[in-house]
Amino acid sequence: MTFSCRVLAGLLMASAGLAVQAQTADAVPPKVAVCAACHGPQGKSTQPAYPILAGQTSRYMYLELRDFQEGRRANDLMSPIAVGLTRDEMHELSDYFAKQRPPVQSFATDPAKARLGKLKADETLCTMCHLGGFAGQNEIPRVAGQHYDYIVKQLSDFKARKRTNDAGNMTSVANTLSAQDIENLANYLVGL
Amino acid sequence: MGQAEVSDQGAATGAPVPKNVAVSQGQLDAADKDGVNYLQSNMSYAQTRYYPATQIDTSNVHKLRPAFQFQTEVLESMETSPIVVDGIMYITTSYNHVYALDAATGKEYWHYKHKMGAVTTYCCGPNNRGVAVMGDRLYMGTLDAKLLALDAKTGKVLWAVQVADPEAGYSETMAPVAVNGKVLIGTNGGEYGIRGFVKAYDAKDGKLLWTFNTIPEKGSEGVWAVNDATNRNLHRDLAAEKAQLAKSGDFYKVLGGGVWMAPAIDRETNTAFFVVGNPSPDLYGAERPGDNLYTDSMVAVDLNTGAYKWHFQYVPHDVWDLDAVSPVVLTEAMGKDGRVHKVAIHGGKTGHIYVNDRVTGELIRFSEAMIPQENMWVLPTKDGARMLPGANGGVEWSPMAVNPVLHLAYAANLHQPMTYHVEDAKYPGGKLWLGGAFKVIASEKQWGRLAAVNLDTGKVAWKFDTEQPLIGGVLATAGGLVFNGEGNGLFRAFDARTGKMLWEYQCGAGVNAPAVSYMVGGKQYVAVAAGGNTQLDFKRGNSVIVFALP
Repeated sequence: MTFSCRVLAGLLMASAGLAVQAQTADAVPPKVAVCAACHGPQGKSTQPAYPILAGQTSRYMYLELRDFQEGRRANDLMSPIAVGLTRDEMHELSDYFAKQRPPVQSFATDPAKARLGKLKADETLCTMCHLGGFAGQNEIPRVAGQHYDYIVKQLSDFKARKRTNDAGNMTSVANTLSAQDIENLANYLVGL
Repeated sequence: MGQAEVSDQGAATGAPVPKNVAVSQGQLDAADKDGVNYLQSNMSYAQTRYYPATQIDTSNVHKLRPAFQFQTEVLESMETSPIVVDGIMYITTSYNHVYALDAATGKEYWHYKHKMGAVTTYCCGPNNRGVAVMGDRLYMGTLDAKLLALDAKTGKVLWAVQVADPEAGYSETMAPVAVNGKVLIGTNGGEYGIRGFVKAYDAKDGKLLWTFNTIPEKGSEGVWAVNDATNRNLHRDLAAEKAQLAKSGDFYKVLGGGVWMAPAIDRETNTAFFVVGNPSPDLYGAERPGDNLYTDSMVAVDLNTGAYKWHFQYVPHDVWDLDAVSPVVLTEAMGKDGRVHKVAIHGGKTGHIYVNDRVTGELIRFSEAMIPQENMWVLPTKDGARMLPGANGGVEWSPMAVNPVLHLAYAANLHQPMTYHVEDAKYPGGKLWLGGAFKVIASEKQWGRLAAVNLDTGKVAWKFDTEQPLIGGVLATAGGLVFNGEGNGLFRAFDARTGKMLWEYQCGAGVNAPAVSYMVGGKQYVAVAAGGNTQLDFKRGNSVIVFALP
């Protein structure tokens, strides 16, 4: 091999390496397309019934997928989808969505209700687990900027014990929340 | 587990510290008399946090001014207790950063940023409470449940071991204790159904030397105690518990019992003392029958082997999370026989300071309640039962200080009226497992109280009430002072004898870490982190502020 050939080959290898790296950094798990139908591209759902996944914690999403798969959490759409996922796919999808930037919420919050929601959140010690600003951590979900309808649905489901996969924490928290409290909390959280 | 590894733990940036760092065992043993360095997270093996320097005293503390402010790059809860060796300060932040800086100027030398593992599981914030130092090394526990040894001069990782599995709810936030070639560390995780422990590692290479499991495989049911340590009825249904025990399997594996704070060490008797946290799940007790030993207890073990010596349980079968967190202090107090005894004391979330004989574990006395208690021990209900204190205490993890001349212990207390709620809850496998909730009562005011307790009588000698519930810890000095901070940013000095406030400074973010003191070039400094607090959501900051006289 001549010197110039070696240089050329080296350059080719280097650029191939870069291409592989770029592909890895932006790797989109194949099954993201299935999620996007409801959760939007990159998990930036615009439909209020379907949660925003962009920026959610990976650990939380993985554990929820596992719960859907194993029947601890039930949903007509999610349960059958989760059944078809391997553990590796669940991790890949969770990691992918966790890396996406959450969208800016356009929901028009009611400031008075949001203020009452903040007071209720303080009283309920929410940030002890959800962290300051409801940014979430590990297996505790990010709730800041989540869809209003989705927050209301989840808190109502916890209260009605339709959702029971959290070891009694949120069912207990939601037990003493009124419908008005839930509305106020959702107004507060959607605006964070 | 136990296999040392050094790769993939992240690396330090910056420059080596410009001198050799070497802390001998003799220095560590005499740390309580060292008026220059500050060598252990709670100052000495006895953990009195009574700093012997007297340059700053009651007559001049009002002149105290910031000497410098060091800002980290992590804007999150700070609970670090700075370590100072020969003019070099080591601090930690949330998410396991370590900084080495000049303790007189704030000049940064190196910065180590731990490369966190993919899975972490922790309650109450991504905190860290500091490093331990021994020889030329620092030791730090991490949120992904590792123990690291760093070169104190360069910040280079020398070894790293996996202490426990973060997927199962284990994490590390405490400052380890380094003694006689060993590094001792406990674990967080009482909110996740772990089986707690204290482990000792070989400081040289990270080899596991011994493990004391805070939950015994057999006998965790204890003596079926009817009352707590203060003789108040716990309202237990012992028949139901005994029936449950007969059909229970191996719940000891998930019974909790974290150890959140650094053990105290008695080198004369070769004993390590620590308190054990709550049983899991916190509020739902039906499926964990018995006293749940050794949760909510002080435990003494042999330092060489980890062998059990004695235990004393404060709250058997706890269903309120009113457990034992604040680190044990070794000091002296009057015994029941009128003679001075060597004692081990603990400030409880119950609001009492418990004074136990250091040799036998016998309870000599408990203090009067430092904060209001009401309705104890009403059982949690689905809709919530009101009881004081709230689940954060009393005294949370905040280390106390003891003035051994005055026989006064200083404790930072919270007053947070709460309702306690219970829910049936099976072990969820690495997820938060409270089995209910506690909620503050919005109509009732919350506040804090710095209390000085006479250890010979158990009486509150003085108290200073604060706007915010107190979490962070106390420093006392031989200058007749007590230092304590508040979530609203105020850092204060008090007269140790009377409780009179002598000085305060607004730090700009929650002062929710324990202060330390040291000397450089003949000048005494007081340092404290102002980073706020996740648990109580106090305003976050990223600074260590260091004060000195003009």
